[in-house]
Amino acid sequence: MADERAINPQAPAQTVPLQPYASVSDQIAMIPLHYPLRRRWLIGLGISALFTGLLVVAIGYLFYAGVGIWGINSPVFWGLAIANYVWWIGLGNAGTLISALLLLLSQQWRNSLNRFAEAMTLFAVFCAALFPIIHLGRPWFFYWLLPYPNVMALWPQFRSPLVWDVFANVIYLLVSIIFFYIGLIPDLATVRDKARGRVGQVFFGVLSLGWRGSAAHWQRWRRTYRFCAALAVPLVVSVHSGVAMLFSVGQLAGWQTTIFPPYFVMGAMFSGFGVVAMIAVVLRSTFRLDSLVTIRHLDLLGKVLLASGLMTSYGYIMDAFTAWYSGDPFERATLFDRFGGAYAWSYWAAVILNFVVIQGLWFGAVRRDPMWLFFIGASVMIGMWFERYMLVVTTLYHDFLPSSWGWYVATFWDWALLAGTIGLFFFLFLLFVRFLPMISIFEVKEVLREERVEARHAPSR
Amino acid sequence: MASLPPANDSPSVDPTAKVAPDLATLRHRLASGTGRRFWRSLEDLAESDDFRRFVEAEFPAALELSETSRRNFLRLMAAPMMLGGLAACGDMPDEKALPYINQPEILVPGKALYFATATLFEGYAQPVLAETHVGRPTKLEGNPDHPMAGAGTTDAFAQAAVLELYDPDRSRAITFLGRIATWDAFQGVTVGLRDRLRENKGGDLRILIDTVTSPTLRRQLDDLRAAFPQARLHHFEPVGAALRHQGTLRAFGRPLDVHYRLENAAVIVSLEDDIFGPGPSQVRHAAQWSQRRRDHQQDGDLTRLHVAESTPTLTGALAGTTLNAASQRMPVLLANLAGSLGVGEGNTAEAALTQGEQAWVRTAAGELAAHRGIGLLALGAHLPADAQALAHRVNHALGNAGVTVVYSEPVGLAATDEASALLALAEAMAAGEVETLVVLGANPVYTAPADLDFANRMDRVSLRIHAGLYYDETASHCHWHIPLTHPLESWSDARAVDGTASMLQPTVKPLFGGKSVHEVVATLLGQLNATAYDLLRETWDACLGGDEKAWRQVLNDGFVADSVAQTEAPAPQGAAAEVSLAIGVPASGEASGLEAIFRPDPCVWDGRFSNLAWLQELPKPLTKLTWDNVLAISARLAEGLDLGAGDEAELTVKGRSVRGPVWILPGQAERTITVFLGYGRSRAGRVGDGAGFNGYAVRTSAEPWAVPGAALRRTGKRLRLATTQNHATMDGGDFVRTMSVTEARAAHPDEPLAPTFYPQWEYPKYAWAMSIDLDLCIGCNACVVACQAENNIPVVGKEQVEAGREMHWIRVDRYYEGGLDRPDRTLFQPLPCMHCEQAPCEVGCPVNATVHGPEGLNQMVYNRCVGTRTCASYCPYKVRRFNFFEYAATDSPLLQAQRNPNVTVRARGVMEKCTYCVQRISAARIEAQKEGRPIRDGEVVTACQSACPTQAIVFGNQADPDSGVSRRQQSPRQYTLLRELNTRPRTTYQARILDKASDGEA
Repeated sequence: MADERAINPQAPAQTVPLQPYASVSDQIAMIPLHYPLRRRWLIGLGISALFTGLLVVAIGYLFYAGVGIWGINSPVFWGLAIANYVWWIGLGNAGTLISALLLLLSQQWRNSLNRFAEAMTLFAVFCAALFPIIHLGRPWFFYWLLPYPNVMALWPQFRSPLVWDVFANVIYLLVSIIFFYIGLIPDLATVRDKARGRVGQVFFGVLSLGWRGSAAHWQRWRRTYRFCAALAVPLVVSVHSGVAMLFSVGQLAGWQTTIFPPYFVMGAMFSGFGVVAMIAVVLRSTFRLDSLVTIRHLDLLGKVLLASGLMTSYGYIMDAFTAWYSGDPFERATLFDRFGGAYAWSYWAAVILNFVVIQGLWFGAVRRDPMWLFFIGASVMIGMWFERYMLVVTTLYHDFLPSSWGWYVATFWDWALLAGTIGLFFFLFLLFVRFLPMISIFEVKEVLREERVEARHAPSR
Repeated sequence: MASLPPANDSPSVDPTAKVAPDLATLRHRLASGTGRRFWRSLEDLAESDDFRRFVEAEFPAALELSETSRRNFLRLMAAPMMLGGLAACGDMPDEKALPYINQPEILVPGKALYFATATLFEGYAQPVLAETHVGRPTKLEGNPDHPMAGAGTTDAFAQAAVLELYDPDRSRAITFLGRIATWDAFQGVTVGLRDRLRENKGGDLRILIDTVTSPTLRRQLDDLRAAFPQARLHHFEPVGAALRHQGTLRAFGRPLDVHYRLENAAVIVSLEDDIFGPGPSQVRHAAQWSQRRRDHQQDGDLTRLHVAESTPTLTGALAGTTLNAASQRMPVLLANLAGSLGVGEGNTAEAALTQGEQAWVRTAAGELAAHRGIGLLALGAHLPADAQALAHRVNHALGNAGVTVVYSEPVGLAATDEASALLALAEAMAAGEVETLVVLGANPVYTAPADLDFANRMDRVSLRIHAGLYYDETASHCHWHIPLTHPLESWSDARAVDGTASMLQPTVKPLFGGKSVHEVVATLLGQLNATAYDLLRETWDACLGGDEKAWRQVLNDGFVADSVAQTEAPAPQGAAAEVSLAIGVPASGEASGLEAIFRPDPCVWDGRFSNLAWLQELPKPLTKLTWDNVLAISARLAEGLDLGAGDEAELTVKGRSVRGPVWILPGQAERTITVFLGYGRSRAGRVGDGAGFNGYAVRTSAEPWAVPGAALRRTGKRLRLATTQNHATMDGGDFVRTMSVTEARAAHPDEPLAPTFYPQWEYPKYAWAMSIDLDLCIGCNACVVACQAENNIPVVGKEQVEAGREMHWIRVDRYYEGGLDRPDRTLFQPLPCMHCEQAPCEVGCPVNATVHGPEGLNQMVYNRCVGTRTCASYCPYKVRRFNFFEYAATDSPLLQAQRNPNVTVRARGVMEKCTYCVQRISAARIEAQKEGRPIRDGEVVTACQSACPTQAIVFGNQADPDSGVSRRQQSPRQYTLLRELNTRPRTTYQARILDKASDGEA
């Protein structure tokens, strides 16, 4: 804790208010076992299921008719599908980063946030993973992008950033699942122990892999967990760097720039933190978890959001500056197109939502107000979508030869996929909230214990 | 059909008393069905009892159905036909088809056979070599042995002729009153008809025909006239060059064809003569001009072109100086020009000209005067005959006649007398003087000027017979319709524009039965059993003296040697002063209403090619529009009327009006509206129906080319137009480079290539490369269609083009420089795949579907492609095309027969692009390996290259320093598109050389 205070001297002394351990277990573990808001949950699930249904229809029709149902054309060969992909995978960055990086840095405040942030990551990456497949002209051959043994001895083309992307994504998804699951095991055991019904006992019993909480278990668990965290952190960077390479390996003006990988990673973290902040605010108020997700958490989230937002803004500025400074007529033309071309709205929407709005976070009152934080998180999330759209479309619609310049207008089916994946995300997240402990019980207890110890040794407070 | 009056004098026919099968249903089914289904239905029909009863009741004399009507497509493809064609042993009876026991030596599956034949355009032969695969014609190439200049190349129309052959909407059956009838029944009708005609010497027989150049058909028509001396022949060509004959009639006293010799012309002054625009002479002119240009690119003595025009043309695009003036100003300009050259002084009145006009006339006159004997004054074929005559006088006075322009007896059957014009026919029909009308090939119900009220007048004729490729507008107004055979499936002959007699031999048995026009005329003559082949032999045996060897030589060559028209340069008769050009058209800018001018569409011409999807989807050279015609207006006029491109407007001309979308055309004369003809058809077929608007609806026979006093009104509606190029300028880039004559001569050492991380490729033997000389490109589009025909490129339709998904592997970019009102320059740039050495696409593809070949080709492996479209996104030239839908599957089975068997048909979700015609490289390699030698320079000719009439495209091995392409690359004008990207393309360009005039050196 001393470390933490050294980093955050202004931070409130306690991350989690002092409370009995049992109350933590009860507050969290009882949600899956005795879900408090059945009606609202069912309504939410129904609505998200409808959108998930739309996704199924959109994909079904896509497979039947071909990618021509989208608004893509020549020269805008990539459209909303790629923008959505980058956006989703960006959202999916924050959970693992919060969880793994802060774990390695022993930032204990993460313990109240990491579980649902990880879940958010998983579902976002899952939504993202749909796009590279359905985006293909011939999706039934998606496995050709994988290095599998075949009689033709054909390999993927390793110079292609798409191949790197496939590797990075698949590994990231797998590691994220493993990390999430390992982190869940002690809590699953807690829920198992609290379960009254036979179904719950078996379900959680199987999932908890016979966890008994012995010291040996804890020792092995901790080693594994930290190991996975160490694996996951570089993957967070690689996955979005890979996505950035998808653009910057091409020679197109507005894409080919070396700042893209860090710029994308920062942007991804930024949007991910925005969503984590939103979820934290919603869960906190919905399930009255104020004592577990405290104002201090919100404050910290706000700071991280501001910091990553400013780093992203640096990316914006440097991207524009290098384009201008390069003197390359095509780079400049694309830059000015972003400022004032047909799709300038997407650029300015991104700038306003991602840069202007977050300036409010300089103020503690804004950071600590759940409503404000929610809206800023939403602004970032939407702003980052505009940024992805801007990056894909403004570069492609006006490239080198004016003769091939074109337009891009997304069709109903493009939007249906975005709406459908959002529906799918909510669908999965609602299932998570309903059936799994959404906040890490044992880790919160750990924080609590440390605080108690500290409280005992600090009589001045 | 119900509106047709009964044909009262057809013998033994009573349309009301018949046992008809449900033909309406059948027609409907056929109209919506695919080719194969159609055929089956016809067979079902022919075999049904209903039909037999119908035939018996209708035509007792024709109980036996001709066997030919039941041939199916596969049997038609049977190889004996081709052998028949080659050995010239005539039409083999179509009997049992058996597989070969011994493979004929000549017929090797997988090996193409070529036949020297010709297609027809406006009646003129376009000599071609037809490539056939196992009996299917798939591609047409020019016939390089043909003596006409440029005959080794083709235009876009000739390339599309093979599609016309397979067009599933071509008429498939003889019909009587819209119901299927038989040839025998038709012949039965002609028996009675002939009896009557013999009595009145054919006094009430009229034959309407388009341009005839066929010696055999001319002979037959002469026979017809001899048999029925009172019968009258009318000629009608909706575009044509009839006024040109009237001009020579006035100048020289007889109708003559005008042949330019552009290879001799150092200066060309054109008043609205679209020398290089689409038309029967395009290829010839382009080749002549290119020949001189190539000879003088080094010394800089390039042909200088001065053009005055009301609407931009390809000729204007090539010109150094252009003047935009109303079409009706042309005679005044000409009079001034002639006056300042000392011809017909009486006409000079410079004061009547605007300043710009004066300057242009002075420059043009000065150039012509300075280049006596090597200049050419060319006048649009649509300008008044008096003006034409004056131009001939000028050319004669300057000594140009005989050098840059020569004359010959008309190659086609000329229609100079008014009695044989369409107007006379319309008046005779109105007066009830016509009992029998035979329309051969023409489609006057659609193309006749609106004031003739042709359809209604025609309906008063008692017996109307139509023979044509399609059941078109005219067919639907006729009692009888005979489907004609396509030039590629029939025996015939025709003359090319230079007069060379070309032979048409079938490359496939008639797909839909069909009759040759010779057989139709022979039937009228009572020769019921004459075949086209016999008739043809009859003509040529007389000429060749029955020499079988000579005949075989003719078939082998595709033309009759030394049959070119005799040229001459006669002296004009009478004095120039007789010519009156006092046409009081005020100078532009004054408010006197607008001028409407009529021009054929550059892609579907007068409408005859409406149903050819290749041509419909071919971007028009200047507007880059597809699938539509427009009312082209100037930017000023658009501003004044608050019109934008795509706004619908109503054009009113002399009380008639038509609605269509406007298009702002840079370089259009301010108050001139160009109406493009050829659209708005109702019976073109599934492709052409309903596209565009019908410009003929406001055209009159008195003023078919330019009408003053037109009015344009905005309707407020917006129409959707599909263009393939949204952006008209280079935006500061130098994608199409231009150079002055001096610059072009100086060597421009290439900057060293930028470094690259990737290893260099090694090419021990071949390194294929293409070089495109932009100084020679005239933007004619022949390469685009040739590529489409060769490479099985699908047509995607208007909506998909609008969405930006056209599939052409080579596109011709068009850029303007200068102002919107009068662009300084119009530049063209054909753009195939660049086949980059350091190809961005190859890096992007995750599955190795686009890879660098061992000879430097950037290859697409279609069956490996998963469709990530990364390659296309990365491509700086955007030459890649994606199958967003299953485009190729929309072709009917019949159209699939046209496909090149050596080129994969691409499926949905697969990327494709120009391959440098890799199948042709493979074919050449196989030949070379068989003979144990390397591939020779010039042995591989890509489809675009072989079509190009100016030889702007050269392809070959750049590893060989002596190859044509290597030599081209040594040119000081050589440059690489987007060189700064270090993609190191194999396709390179040569800069366009600017005219001295625009260079400031003049």
